[in-house]
Order: sequence, then structure tokens, then C-alpha cells
Amino acid sequence: MKLKQRLTAGTLSLLLAGPLMAAQPADPLDSVMWEYTRDIFIGNDDYRFDPDIQVDVPAFAEDPTQVPITIDARAHAGNIEKMVVWADLNPIQHVLNYYPGSGANPKVSLRIKVQQSTAVRAAVLTRDGLWHVGYAQLDAAGGGCTTPSMGNADPYWQSHLGEIQSRRFQSGQDDSARYKFRVIHPMDTGLVDAIPEFYLEQVEVRDAENQTVVRMELSPPVSENPVFTFDLKDQANEYHLWLRDNGGNEFEQAL
Amino acid sequence: MKKFGRSTGFAVSTLVAAMSFAGMAQAGITDKDILADQMTTDDVVSNGLGPRGQRYSPLDKLNTETVKELRPVWSFSFGGEKQRGQESQPMVKDGVMYVTGSYSRVFAIDAKTGDELWEYNARLPDGIMPCCDVINRGVALYGDLVIFGTLDAKLVALNKDTGKVVWKKKVADYKEGYSLTAAPLVVKGKIITGVSGGEFGVVGKVEAYDAVTGDIVWTRPTVEGHMGYIWKDGKKVENGISGGKAGETWPGDLWKTGGAATWLGGTYDPETDLMFFGTGNPAPWNSHLRPGDNLFSSSRLAIDPDTGKIVWHFQTTPHDGWDFDGVNELISFDYEEGGKTVKAAATADRNGFFYVLNRENGDFIRGFPFVDKITWAEGLDDKGRPIFKEGGRPGNPADAKEGKKGESVVSAPSFLGGKNWMPMAYSQDTELFYVPSNEWAMDIWNEPVSYKKGAAYLGAGFTIRPMNEDYIGVLRAIDPKTGKEAWRYENYAPLWGGVLTTKGNLVFTGNPEGYLMAFDAKTGEMLYKFNTGSGIVGSPITWEDDGEQFVSVVSGWGGAVPLWGGEVAKRVKHLNQGGSVWTFKLPK
Repeated sequence: MKLKQRLTAGTLSLLLAGPLMAAQPADPLDSVMWEYTRDIFIGNDDYRFDPDIQVDVPAFAEDPTQVPITIDARAHAGNIEKMVVWADLNPIQHVLNYYPGSGANPKVSLRIKVQQSTAVRAAVLTRDGLWHVGYAQLDAAGGGCTTPSMGNADPYWQSHLGEIQSRRFQSGQDDSARYKFRVIHPMDTGLVDAIPEFYLEQVEVRDAENQTVVRMELSPPVSENPVFTFDLKDQANEYHLWLRDNGGNEFEQAL
Repeated sequence: MKKFGRSTGFAVSTLVAAMSFAGMAQAGITDKDILADQMTTDDVVSNGLGPRGQRYSPLDKLNTETVKELRPVWSFSFGGEKQRGQESQPMVKDGVMYVTGSYSRVFAIDAKTGDELWEYNARLPDGIMPCCDVINRGVALYGDLVIFGTLDAKLVALNKDTGKVVWKKKVADYKEGYSLTAAPLVVKGKIITGVSGGEFGVVGKVEAYDAVTGDIVWTRPTVEGHMGYIWKDGKKVENGISGGKAGETWPGDLWKTGGAATWLGGTYDPETDLMFFGTGNPAPWNSHLRPGDNLFSSSRLAIDPDTGKIVWHFQTTPHDGWDFDGVNELISFDYEEGGKTVKAAATADRNGFFYVLNRENGDFIRGFPFVDKITWAEGLDDKGRPIFKEGGRPGNPADAKEGKKGESVVSAPSFLGGKNWMPMAYSQDTELFYVPSNEWAMDIWNEPVSYKKGAAYLGAGFTIRPMNEDYIGVLRAIDPKTGKEAWRYENYAPLWGGVLTTKGNLVFTGNPEGYLMAFDAKTGEMLYKFNTGSGIVGSPITWEDDGEQFVSVVSGWGGAVPLWGGEVAKRVKHLNQGGSVWTFKLPK
């Protein structure tokens, strides 16, 4: 019955959309928000659910304001246009766009806020125009997006805004290296009364020639005082980090 | 069939969107638009309806006959819990209104419908130190940017279509007491701003930034002894010490924390190519600590917009001891005398005197009291310098027992001034200035004080009181040639909102009781009033769209009066806060 309904819906959208396309697969997580969020982030492009895109989430989000997640799309390394991460049931669904340049390994870890138990998606657009959607179900008690940031109770961030701590790790094989950074920022969602949205929007890793190696676009569901881990293919020392928030503040520091 | 219909509809709307986008891109605001603002009635793209700040509109569809039919068409709420102190003047361009709210917020609103297009909320640190409420007086428009100053002393440029930050520049350190509250001025592709913070011993300055990139062009301190700078090819170059050298009109090191904050911004006269910025009180308030004229505090400065050099200055209150900031707007206007055109400029000062100056060189033409009582001066001499009255200044704490508290005096006007920030208007038809003023006195005494970074630097105590049972506020029509008051309107609460005058022989202003009011410009008869639900302390504007004349004003009680009000507080404590824009027109 369910399948039939889906097919009917699919047929209808096929008629409306005009050009012929393959039938789109159904959501393995059966999230009520799938169609809505797919439309926002993928549109009518072709996609498939892809177990090769690994989305790692904890079994339960102990702290819904700081949920560690890892996206590993190395199965498509070298072939990636961009990666879009979102959480279906967040009031602000979008979390992150990640553009790994040729010098980067397409694997990134960060912490996010979740409002309730939700599907977490990582849609990877490969150069052939196809979206590969990784996914995981995250259990959470909730409330992560509508509680005031800790910074709201403590003025520490006001005198330390944009301060960056970073480290480089040997990642084991070959020349590649893992970088981790933490930046002081309240990442306010704007959903708490009387606290305007205030969050880092752009993150870029640039090399000595100021060429962008990794680019990210963030949304307010990235956790307060964001922590990011990502892999670069070489250990060159000259990388530096450039960040800008929606208030127009820019921060820069060597990695 | 259905599919076909839908796709057609989609194509049309895309085309419309593309066309309107192209239209807006062409309509980026230029220096020419700003200079012509007074005569282009379909927009308001400068603070003061023209860079001279006359607040005069040639529109006359609304006039003494028709104004009684005026009615609201929409009201827009700034929302949130931040309902206080709305001192903004809206701007209108291509059917979009740009207006600021308290707490460093900017709103873009469809001027026809009142629908919100976008809003920007600055995330302010807790440590901001605005002395006199969390207000903002409006934006500047240039190119496709909407530019305003924040309470943490930054200039922020937003894209006019999206509200996204294009650039942001730190003008000063808010932790030292600096903030920005005035609408920036645009002159020759530069954004010109002053700073607030005179109560914290900051050093006032005027700065120019490239309006497109936000790069600093020059900085000019307004206290004698501080070096000015100009940036040439990205290099900071010394550009002369303000006043030549330190210590001429200040004792010891007091010039280092001398105040003279330029907190109300300025006006620009394209004819003389001069900008006029006023400066606030010298710091600290206790004048016995700083014998001398204390330049350039409580003055009007004429500044060259290209270099930031001070071309002339006129000090209204030398050695100020009453917090008589000299920031009030200097409005350029011409008048005929003896068959000659006089290039004049006028200002109604906090100290109770109205001044008419030669705007080419700053020479004093004439001056006269515009308030009923002045206790601190006998009058003005032939250079416009006040003749101080014996016993008019609060006593020196050093002369008092134990050196704690000096002798208290009763002084009029009070420190909130015969007129405060609220801008007056000049009618080219009646040749009168319409001055929003207040009749109030204060008890003031001096105390010892020393400077501490980021702390109030006053050395004075004070309390403010009304002088009349039935009114404090007085809207006055003043003839700048004779000093005569053509008419007055008395208001129970103090007046704290700007004035607008039009060719329709009308004068508009608002009061803390909440009324937008319209008066006959010649007789002062009140022809219209409408209660906006909260006190009006903003400045009204008027513009034309599709052959209809609109009037807008922000409503939202607050500002300095309820914070510093002393006995006056009794008259205003029942007034409720708010935060909205009201827009009016005649019925079709």
C-alpha cells in the first residue's frame, strides 16, 4: 500500500517536472521530512542512498548541544563537488556544506546541535552530477537548538571571540595529516528569545599561495565553540585558517 | 494541460524577478542622489532630507486643507523584548524603507505594504556602555549598501537586498566607553562618522571610510593635542595635530581624556564643500579641574571632507561646566539681507542660545536665547562668546569643607539642554526654524573625580526639574533674522523627537505622549494628531509614491529622558515603551 502511494506520488512529480528521469528511491529511514529536505538540498537531481558514505553518530546524544558526528566519503575521493550535511528534524535543518579541494581527504568530524531524535544526512555530489546520500539515525533527548548558548550566561566569548586552537596529527599512512581546530564562537541560532542569530558562516583552509584547499559553509546547528577535524593529503606547514561570521567578523590563523 | 500551465507561470515569474533585479542594480544610490535628496520627492536617501539637514520637503499634497484626512496605512513592529528608545529616521528608496531599531537592529520594509523584507540584528556584547539608552538614529545608503553604526562602536555595511554583512569596521573600542548612535553621513563616496562616549573620558573624533570597501580614509580627533591621520595608498600618514599642539586650552594631561564626543554626526554643505560636526562636553563635567576653553569641546567644527582638516570652529560654551554639549545640528540656509545673499548656518544649542553663523568662515552673525530662562550667562558678546554670569557655575569642591562636594547651583537650561539631539527643521517658504525645545532646570554640584578607563568620568551630581506646572516641551517657530518667536506649542512632557516641515505649510513632530502632530507652519495651529501607541522620539519623513504623499515616523518611548529624568520622571513614568514604524497617507 505504502509502496503504491509512493509510486503515485513519484508519477505525479514526474509529470510536473517535465523531463524524464529515473524513479527516485525511497528513504530507508522513512523520515517524514525526507521529501521536504530532499527538495531543499538536492532538488530534482538524481540521487541514490549510498552505504559507502559513512555517517557516524553516537548511539545516543548525551548532550544535544554537542553531538559529535563524522562524515567519511573517502569512497568517492577525488570525485566530489560538494557535500551537504543536514538533520531532518532540526528547526534549522542545514548544518554544513563541505567542499574538499584536491588536497583534502573527504572526511570531516564536527559537533552539532539537535532539537530531537532525527535522521542525519550527508549528501555527496559527485562530478557526474549524481548525489550519493549517506545517513544515520540519531537518538536524542532534544532541545539543542533552542537553549541559550553557554556564552549567553558567560561573557567569556566577548573578549575571546574567534580565538582558534589548532593541532596537527600524523594520520598513520603516507604523508597525510589530520588537522583539528576549535574556535571560540557562541553560534547562536536566533531561536532563543532576545539573542540574535550569530554564527560562523564561512571556513576556509588556505595554503601559502592563499589558494583554498578546503571550504565549508556553516549554519547555526554547528555547535557552540565549533570543533572540526579534517584530513589533508600533505603535511605542509603553511596552511592557514580563515573564518567569517554573519556579523562580518573575520578571523585568521596559521594551522 | 496542467503541466503546461504551470511551466508558463513559472517562466513569467522568473522573467519578472530578473527584470526587477536589473532595475534595482541600476538604482544603486550615488552621491548625486544624496545631494539632490531634498528635491527628489520619491525617495529619502539622507538623514535630514538632504545633506544640509533642513528637513524640508517640497511636497504639498498634504497641506493645511487636507492634513485632517491623514490616516495610517500600516504599522510595523520591531518585535522582541527590545521595545525602547526608537530615535531613528527612516530612509526610503525604490519602494523599500530602511529603518533602525534600538539595540543595533536594521529592518528593510516594503514601503507600500509594511511587509518585512529582511532584518539584521547585531549580536552585542554585554559590556556596551551607551550613556543614554540603547538607541540608534538611522542608516546611511550608498550604492547597494545600507550602512549603520552599532552600540559596540562598529560600522556595518549590509547588502540592501539581502541584509547580509558586506563589511564591518571597528571605529573604536567599546570597552573604553565608545559607541555609535548617530546616522552616518555620506560625502563624496565616503562614510563619515563620529563617536559617542563623552561621559567616559573618551577622545572624540570624526572618521571617514570608503563607502564601498569600508577602508579608513582619515581620522580627525576633536580634542586639542591629538594627531590626525590620513591613509595614502594604504599607509597611515600624520595629518596634523588638532589645534596645533597640546596644552593650549587644557591644563596638564586632561586633554588626553578630554571628551568632545561627536555623537550626533554631522551635516554637509556642498556649496562650501564643508561638513559641520558638533562636539560634546569636555570631560570631566567638573570644570574646576580643567581651567581654559578646552578646545574643541562644545563646538561646531567645519571639516574638509577630503582631508579631515578642521577649516574653522565655533565654540558655543567655552570651559563648559553644565554638560552643554555642542553637538546639535548646524543647518545651512541662505537668506537675503540688504540685497545680498547671506550664506548662513544656524543651530539651537543645549546652552539655550540660538546661533546664526557665516558658514564659509564660522564668523558669528547673531545669537539670542531661544528658551525662556538662561541662568549661566548674561548674553553673548559680539563674537558670540558667552558672558558668564557670576555664581552661575557650580562651586569648586576644593573650596568646600573637606573638599568633598562643591556648592550646588540651580541652572537653566538643565544638562539635557534647551534643545537636545532632536533635529529642528527649516522652511524655505516661511523662512522660520521649527525648534523642538524644553524648559527645565537642574541642581548641579561638583565633586572630585579621577579618570578610570571605561568608568563614568563626571565629577558632578545633578537632578533635573520642570520649570512650569503645565509644560516642559515647547515647539517654537523662530525667525533666524530677528530672534523673534513667531509661535509656540507647549507640551506637557519634554519634546524628544525630530521635526519635519513641508511646502504644504505644515510642521510635523511627535511627542512622548505618543502623538504624531501636524501644525500650520505660519500660525502654529494644531491641525492633526494621531496616537501611535508609544512615545515618539524619532524624526518623521515624507515622500511620494504613485502620486500619493506618505508620512512615516517611528514610535517607541525611551532615550535619555526616562534615564536621567529626576523630578521630570514623574511626568513620563506612565508612558509605555514600544518599537514600531507608522506610515500615513490620504485616502484615495
